[in-house]
Amino acid sequence: MCKNEGKNLIICGVGGQGIVLFGKILGQFLINKGYELKISDVVGLGQRGGNVECHFRYSNKPIMSPLIKVGEADYIISFEQTETLRNAHYLKDDGLIITSTFEMSSPTVNVEIEKDMEGNKTEIIKELGRNTFIIDVAKYSDTDINISQMANVIMLGFYSSFMGYDDSEMIEVMRKTINPKFIDSNIKAYELGKQICNEQKVAVVK
Amino acid sequence: MRALLTGNEAVARGAYEAGVKLASGYPGAPSTEVMESISSYKEVYSEWSTNEKVALEVAIGASFAGYRSFAVMKTVGLNVASDALMFAAGSQINGGLVIVVSDDVGRSSGDDYNDCRFYGQNAAVPILEPSDSQEAKDFMKLAFEISEEFSTPVILRLTSVTCKTKSLVEVDESYVYQQVENHKYDFSFQRTMITTMMTGIKNPTSPKLAKYYNNFTGTMRKLEDESNQLDINKLELDSKEIGVITAGVAYSYVKEALPEASVLKLGMINPLPRKLIKEIASYVKTLYVIEEGQNVLERNIKNIGVNVIGEELFPRFPEMIRLTPDIIEEKIIPGITKNKPREDVPFRLPMNCAGCSHLFVYHVLKKHKIKASIDITCGIIGAFPHVDAFRNAKCMGSAIGVAHGYNVLTKNPEQYVAVIGDGGFWNTGISGLINLVYNSGNSTVIIMDNSCVAMTGGQCCPSSGFGINYKPENNIEISDICKAVGIKDVAVIDPYNVDELEDVILKAVKSEGNSVVVVKKECITAFKPKRTGKCQVKQDSCSKCKLCLKIGCLAIERKVNAEGDEVKINGDICMGCKLCTNVCKRGAIEYVQE
Repeated sequence: MCKNEGKNLIICGVGGQGIVLFGKILGQFLINKGYELKISDVVGLGQRGGNVECHFRYSNKPIMSPLIKVGEADYIISFEQTETLRNAHYLKDDGLIITSTFEMSSPTVNVEIEKDMEGNKTEIIKELGRNTFIIDVAKYSDTDINISQMANVIMLGFYSSFMGYDDSEMIEVMRKTINPKFIDSNIKAYELGKQICNEQKVAVVK
Repeated sequence: MRALLTGNEAVARGAYEAGVKLASGYPGAPSTEVMESISSYKEVYSEWSTNEKVALEVAIGASFAGYRSFAVMKTVGLNVASDALMFAAGSQINGGLVIVVSDDVGRSSGDDYNDCRFYGQNAAVPILEPSDSQEAKDFMKLAFEISEEFSTPVILRLTSVTCKTKSLVEVDESYVYQQVENHKYDFSFQRTMITTMMTGIKNPTSPKLAKYYNNFTGTMRKLEDESNQLDINKLELDSKEIGVITAGVAYSYVKEALPEASVLKLGMINPLPRKLIKEIASYVKTLYVIEEGQNVLERNIKNIGVNVIGEELFPRFPEMIRLTPDIIEEKIIPGITKNKPREDVPFRLPMNCAGCSHLFVYHVLKKHKIKASIDITCGIIGAFPHVDAFRNAKCMGSAIGVAHGYNVLTKNPEQYVAVIGDGGFWNTGISGLINLVYNSGNSTVIIMDNSCVAMTGGQCCPSSGFGINYKPENNIEISDICKAVGIKDVAVIDPYNVDELEDVILKAVKSEGNSVVVVKKECITAFKPKRTGKCQVKQDSCSKCKLCLKIGCLAIERKVNAEGDEVKINGDICMGCKLCTNVCKRGAIEYVQE
């Protein structure tokens, strides 16, 4: 059942992006595969707009710490590029980044009590020199999918396709997790994520 | 069957399988979900009480009636409920009584100063601490058994990571709910009465005295003895070099970071198993104590004469925000180096949601330079520097008392205003309001009625119009209560009418005597109203004065590009509340109907 030993994923972004749901669907999918799991949602300060990190570990052996050690994450899956950089130190030397180009400026930067990073964050991410997939979700805003609300499921579709997961099994889990009212639009978003993955077979930085 | 449960959900499941009959509590991160989960079990009576003290008193009453009961709160809430705990401790217990308390470890907002183990020690009650969801469920069941066998309330200590981590838990699908009852005593008296009788009357002969007698100190000594054989206190002897005494999720970090170390894992952290501690101490060369929160275990272990390394190696705030496996490796494994997080990533301060009623009140206070206190509500975000609307921010429910104290003595002509949320008002703020009338104060109180306890995710309160045990005829209007306690000047206002809000607040501030302004608007996040339009910046009219950025709205962002700063409104987040169109002096923000 468990094809590989398991992975450590950091799933990150800002509040309201549906990171918890992403973890929930992927978690159930991997339980069905027979894996052990620990998923720890670490929510930063306060309300909407705060940073959210999910430490997601699955393995075919029992897992001890729910928190991933620095330098031990296989993948960073990020919904917001400032958060990609906030969590970059978790990545293994040969780890891989899947990041959205979406960016939400920090309130401290907005009111100028703190300086923003110098330069374009997408470029800074590339300069990390890791295997990186950059997903410009906004490019697809002319589709009938609400990109901002569905970013989590688009990323799930991308990741699932990247990992070669069985779509029907994943969609089955989605059906059991997501409110039936919204399931059709979610499946569309999932398909879009797959499409983006197919268009972008090769990582930006190798 | 194995189910993926958070620590919170596992606690609720454990209570259910223990045949619990009543659950009471007050919302508070990270353990709010325990109540949300237990209330889905229809056989169990559950309630959000008005505050933590009431919640614990309700559980105490139900326990006295013979039913297994528990109260749930965060440690900041146990501050409020501590009086109830102190007097339940040492009294006669019928149905198992458990207090589920969560320490919000790792929150840089300062919750780390609160460690519920101090309360457990002070009250001399047992404290259990699970390390994952499976243990959360198992320990909850055990807590009820200990409570009944040793006639004592039991604290189940959770911390943020235990509460919020999902892991697989064995759930007995064939379990059929059966309530468990235990009725040993017809009387249960507070501890001080018991000690008065037991120590004052040396030669008891009257049968009337018997009901007061409860040898609670003897019971705790017995439990301390038995703790050396308790399954949940596990001694795992391995390396003779390094030993660690640990508890809770810190155990899993230790196993990850120091897999060879000998470990004493404490499932029960009060009272301590002295024999086991001495055993590991004599087995290893160097003995550490690794724990989440303050150095409570360390001090207690040192008190029994065992030398351990703790605080000297693991200094707390501000050196360490939260314990991680990385910190353990760095401190104990020689020569290890770790990647460091980047220093140039900007910090995210908390923000109110776009369209939140608090933003409107911040705006009026700042525009008219009205000094104000705030307390624990979503409005406390307004005290952070990016909004900068308040002079004083203290504990939940405090704003009215603080403003009154200031106004009573200050010679300044300006009136200091209290701003309080509906949650805080019902929790303890209502006492401050009565005090204002009772002591003939002269203060203005702004009550933010957003129809729920918003900061913890929109739970019910007495004025919210919904809830676990809600009946429309029992809903209480905040304005009615204010009038009933003797506030003559009470106004209710929809904040989206900004001009009117401004007038009403200014009038209240200038008026003689006490006044209340109830700002009534449902929480955007909890009630999800449909927007009819959104705001956008007309870039060619924008002078980049950035006044709109100071509103504290999540949708308004400053973007820096090659041409310099640009102010943008995120159309996905904007609720179309129009506050920014009102604030912009150049008319550079327009509202577009959808």
